[in-house]
Amino acid sequence: MTPAPFLGIENVSRHFGGLRAVDEVSFTVSRGEIVSIIGPNGAGKTTLFNLLTGQLQPSSGTVRFEGRDIGSLRPNERARLGFGRTFQISQTLTSMSVLENGMVGAFMHERSLPGAAARAAEALEMVGLSKRAGDRAGSLTLGERRRLEVARALAMKPQIVLLDEVMAGLNQTEVREIIDMVHALNAAGVAFLVIEHNLKVVRAFSRRVVVINRGRLLKQGTADEVLGDPQVIEAYVGKTRS
Amino acid sequence: MSNPDTRSAAPARTGVRTLRHELPVTLGVIAAAGALIAVFSGDSFTLNILATAFLFAGLATAWNIIGGLGGQFSLGHSVFFAIGAFTVANIYLKLQISPWLAIVPAAVFSALLGALISWPVFRLRGPFFAIATMAMTEVLLSLSLYFDTFTGGSRGISIPFRLGVQNMIFRDRMSYALLMLGFLAICLLVMAAVTRSRLGYALQAVRDNEDAALAAGIDVLRTKLTGMAISAALTGVGGVLYMMYVRVADPPTLFSLFDIGVKIALIALIGGIGTVYGPLLGALLIVPLENYLRAELGGSVPGANLIVLGVVLMLTALFLRHGVMGALRAGALRLFGARA
Repeated sequence: MTPAPFLGIENVSRHFGGLRAVDEVSFTVSRGEIVSIIGPNGAGKTTLFNLLTGQLQPSSGTVRFEGRDIGSLRPNERARLGFGRTFQISQTLTSMSVLENGMVGAFMHERSLPGAAARAAEALEMVGLSKRAGDRAGSLTLGERRRLEVARALAMKPQIVLLDEVMAGLNQTEVREIIDMVHALNAAGVAFLVIEHNLKVVRAFSRRVVVINRGRLLKQGTADEVLGDPQVIEAYVGKTRS
Repeated sequence: MSNPDTRSAAPARTGVRTLRHELPVTLGVIAAAGALIAVFSGDSFTLNILATAFLFAGLATAWNIIGGLGGQFSLGHSVFFAIGAFTVANIYLKLQISPWLAIVPAAVFSALLGALISWPVFRLRGPFFAIATMAMTEVLLSLSLYFDTFTGGSRGISIPFRLGVQNMIFRDRMSYALLMLGFLAICLLVMAAVTRSRLGYALQAVRDNEDAALAAGIDVLRTKLTGMAISAALTGVGGVLYMMYVRVADPPTLFSLFDIGVKIALIALIGGIGTVYGPLLGALLIVPLENYLRAELGGSVPGANLIVLGVVLMLTALFLRHGVMGALRAGALRLFGARA
C-alpha cells in the first residue's frame, strides 16, 4: 500500500450556477515540495485555492491532507492543521501594528503575549520586516504588506503555505527577495503551493507545474515540459496562425 | 507615566504591553476616579452626577469589549441592561434574596442571552449588524411587556425603600457613588485583561478583517460570542445596580434605544473606541453635560439638550476620529514623542 500523499486533490469540482469554475481537478503535493499553479486569468486558480483553504466547499470531489478528508473543515480549522495562506488582494490587519499582525498568527501555538511577540519577531525577521515592527500595518507599502501576510502565515508554523500571486505589483528587488525567502523556508521543510503569472518566477520556484485552463487541469509536469507545451502556449496566447 | 502610544512606541524591540504593565495604570485611573468622589464628598448633587457618570462609564467600557475591540457595533445592549434589572427585581422582591446575590445570576443570564441572540445576528456585518441589534431591542421590549409577571409590564417595577446594606439601599449619595465606582473598577479591570490577552488580539483581528482572522486560525464566531458574552455579563451587572439605584423602572425605560443602547455606544465613541480608558473620559464629559443641558434648556426649549449632544457627536466624528483618548495620545506623542 502506498502512503497517503501529503496533500491530495481528488476530482475536485466547484460550480457557481452553470459555471464550472473548477472542474474535476486532481493532483498531489508532496511534503516539502514547491508546486506552481499557472493558467490564464479566470481559469479557476483562486477558486481552487479557496477550496483548499476552506473558504469555499467543493461541489464534488475530495481534498485530503495526510490521508484525512478535510473537505468539511472551515478555514480556521485548516489553519490549525498547518495551512498558511496569503490572499490575492492583500488582507492585513490595518489598524494593528506589524508585530501584532504577526502575533495574531503566532497565538495559534502560543498563549502568552511575550511568547507570541517573540515568535512574531522571528517571522518578521525572516521576511525582512523587523525594522517596521512598531508601525501600523496600514502604513506599509504593497510589497511590505505581502511580506507581512507571509510573516503572519509563518508565525503559525505551517506545513504548507499557499501564495496567491504574491509577486503581483512588486519590483524586481522585492521579487528576488521573496524567491530567496521561499527557498530558505522550503529548505527548512515548508511546502509551497504558488499561483504565479511571472514565468521566470515559476522556473525559479518549482520542479513541478500544474496548468489550469477553464477550470480543468490542462497539463502537469516539470517546468520545462509544461512551459514548452504547445497546448499550454495556446491557452495563454491563443492559437498561432501557421 | 504611561506610554503615550502603546502601539507604535513599544518599550523594547519585541516588548508588548502585558497585563502586568497595564495593571498599575488601571489601578491609578480607578484611584483617580475615587479621588473625584472624595473631592465632592459633601455635595450630594455632584455625587449623584458622579454615580450616574461612573455607571455609564462602566457600561460603555463593557460595550467597548465587543463594540470597540471586536468592532461589532451593537446598539442593543439595553437588552442585557434590562435583563440585569429584571433579575434583581425578581430575586429581591419575590424570593427575598439580597440584591448582592442577584449579581451573579444577572451576569450569567445576560451572558447566555447575549450569546444566544448574537448567534444568528453575527452572520451580518457592519451597519446590518447594528440595525439587527436595534430590531432585537424592539422585539425583546414587546416580549417583556407581554410577560408582565417578570417585568411588571407597562406598570413597571418599584422596589420599596428599605434601608440597609444587605438590601443595597442607602440614604446617602456617597454610598451609591462608591457602588458605581466599584462597578466601573470591575469593568476597567476586565477590559484591561481582555485587551492584553489572546482574546483581545483575536477580537481586534476579527474587527480588522474576518478573512485574514480565519486564515490565521481564529474561530471568528466563537471569538465574537465570547466577547459578546463578557460584554453582556458586565452590562447585566450594571442593570442590577441601576435598578437598585432608581428603584422604579419600566420596560420602555430599561430597553430604551436612545437613553441606554445608543448612549453607551456614543459615550465609548466620543471617549475613544477600542481604548481601555476612553469610555470613562467620554462618560465624564457627556453625563455632566447632559445633566446641565437638561436643567438649563430642557424646560424652555424641549429637546434642545439632544440637539447639543448631536452636535457634540458630529464634531467628534469630524475632528476626533479616535475620540478624546485618541486626541490626547496624539497630543502627548507630539509633545514627548521620541520617534524621529
